[in-house]
Amino acid sequence: MSTLIEAKGLSKSYGSHQALKSVDFKVERGRIVGLVGPNGAGKTTILKAILGLTSYEGDLTVLGMNPERQRHQIMQKVSFIADVAVLPGWLKVANALEFVTEVHPNFNLERAKYFLGKTNISMDAKVKQLSKGMVAQLHLALVMSIEAELLVLDEPTLGLDILYRKEFYNQLLTEFFDEGRSILVTTHQIEEIENLLTDLIFIRDGKIVLDATMDEVTNDYIEVMVSKDNIAQAEALNPVMSRDVFGRKVYLFQGVSREQLEVLGELHSPSVADLFVAKMKEGK
Amino acid sequence: MNSFKALVKREYWENRGLIFLSPAIIAAVLAAIMILGTITGDTFVETHHGEINLWDKFPQAVEEFNNIEEEKRTQAIQISLYAPRILFGFVMMLICLFYCLGSLYDERKDKSILFWKSLPVSDTATVLSKFVSVCFMIPIVYFAVVAAFQVFLLVYGTVLAWFGGSLGVNVWTSSNLFGVLFNSLFSFVVATLWLAPLWAWFMFASAWAKKVAFLWGTLPIFMVAIAEGWIFRSSHFIEMVGERVARGFTTLNSDMHFLVGKDMFDEHYVAKWYEVLGESGFWIGLIVAAGFLAGAIYTRRYRDES
Repeated sequence: MSTLIEAKGLSKSYGSHQALKSVDFKVERGRIVGLVGPNGAGKTTILKAILGLTSYEGDLTVLGMNPERQRHQIMQKVSFIADVAVLPGWLKVANALEFVTEVHPNFNLERAKYFLGKTNISMDAKVKQLSKGMVAQLHLALVMSIEAELLVLDEPTLGLDILYRKEFYNQLLTEFFDEGRSILVTTHQIEEIENLLTDLIFIRDGKIVLDATMDEVTNDYIEVMVSKDNIAQAEALNPVMSRDVFGRKVYLFQGVSREQLEVLGELHSPSVADLFVAKMKEGK
Repeated sequence: MNSFKALVKREYWENRGLIFLSPAIIAAVLAAIMILGTITGDTFVETHHGEINLWDKFPQAVEEFNNIEEEKRTQAIQISLYAPRILFGFVMMLICLFYCLGSLYDERKDKSILFWKSLPVSDTATVLSKFVSVCFMIPIVYFAVVAAFQVFLLVYGTVLAWFGGSLGVNVWTSSNLFGVLFNSLFSFVVATLWLAPLWAWFMFASAWAKKVAFLWGTLPIFMVAIAEGWIFRSSHFIEMVGERVARGFTTLNSDMHFLVGKDMFDEHYVAKWYEVLGESGFWIGLIVAAGFLAGAIYTRRYRDES
């Protein structure tokens, strides 16, 4: 089985507000998928549905199971870090390790101790005595010590300073991720993770507006810095978006061949952030 | 099973202050007051004959104590052993109340529910672990603290006997300590189980409450009572609740009641703990509790905070 998550016609309404409008997507094994969208686009709703934390309409399977009915079996193979610091303040670090060891069949205590050994976190400390960054380190140490097939991260670095943010993703890549596992991550700070991602899903107003591998994105979307003389030619090729940079125009094209574009100016791969802005403005 | 044990342990870690420290501190303070009271000058008592120094009276008192009938002495010692249970039992009931009201509310307030839910533990196991904590763990911890205090009382009595020139052996032989401990343990547990429908209701309210779990837990009880008064001009519901609570206390202190000559409580409302186990009301209470627990499990499982 190489598909970890499959959604078909996934929908969710909160009263009259439709948070998800019949969404289809797949997450394959061995991928790092970025789920990106503005606030209220439906990212968290998708994650909650996957984790069995909310009801939904449509078909959704996670590791071949139904998250509404088999939540606690799924959680043996799925780890999750939410966007808020969720470790309770009264919990002692040593007790957290003891508790997870006893309730989680796939938790590796030695690994957790190894990760914590690399931090300044004391075993006797309570969570409320730790800094925000240290709480994130602790949570990450716990989660990386679970032999999970899927790791779901919802804005995991929100509110952390830059050193912790970098370290967070570095550790995930070097110590956790391999071809047997997948990571599904939502974040506002796309710049920080765009080099990590293998797949990209953009979501807007409850609909998916882009679902592609990073390779597809690089092949399909090209940015051209066009000199003034070539502007008319560039406009004729239907750019997705244009912006001004130091008096020159930068155009974003989708599905136009490199040969056609090379004559107009310097070619770049667009950053995910620029692509995101383009996709969010499209049709508006 | 291992994970259920871990869940109960987690409840203890989270609520150690409520469950263990509060009775332990009360016991320590009581013990300190007794010791200090004996050592310092409070042993002088003003009577209309002038001042009497209790220290001087010790030998006389101890001698009198040694001379009373065995049966009376046993009764006196056991009464003093059971007496602390009135205070500790009252504190325990209050603590159970606050524990239940916080049990499924605090984790949502501090958002740690997302962490607990990220672990492979079912909502059923989580809610049941909290119910087991209130019905067994808390009363057993209270029993242990009270037992330690009871042993302290005997030691204290023995030391007083020494000052009175006696060995104080009969303080222990007349205490029936093991019988007292046995009855204490079961009285604590059965009394808490008798109140199970209330605990389960408060847990349900705790799972349900968006804010101020205390009001969600208590107001509906009064609202039902008021509604019944308006519509039927009767007060069966609130009488039933009141009787349930009162019987919790009388069950906890029934040993005391029977020792002091059965005039502590109304005889219709008091029974030994093993008699309570045989009452239909006890088992109906557990069935009602199961209903509220199912509601609490369902609420925790399907509640969507956003």
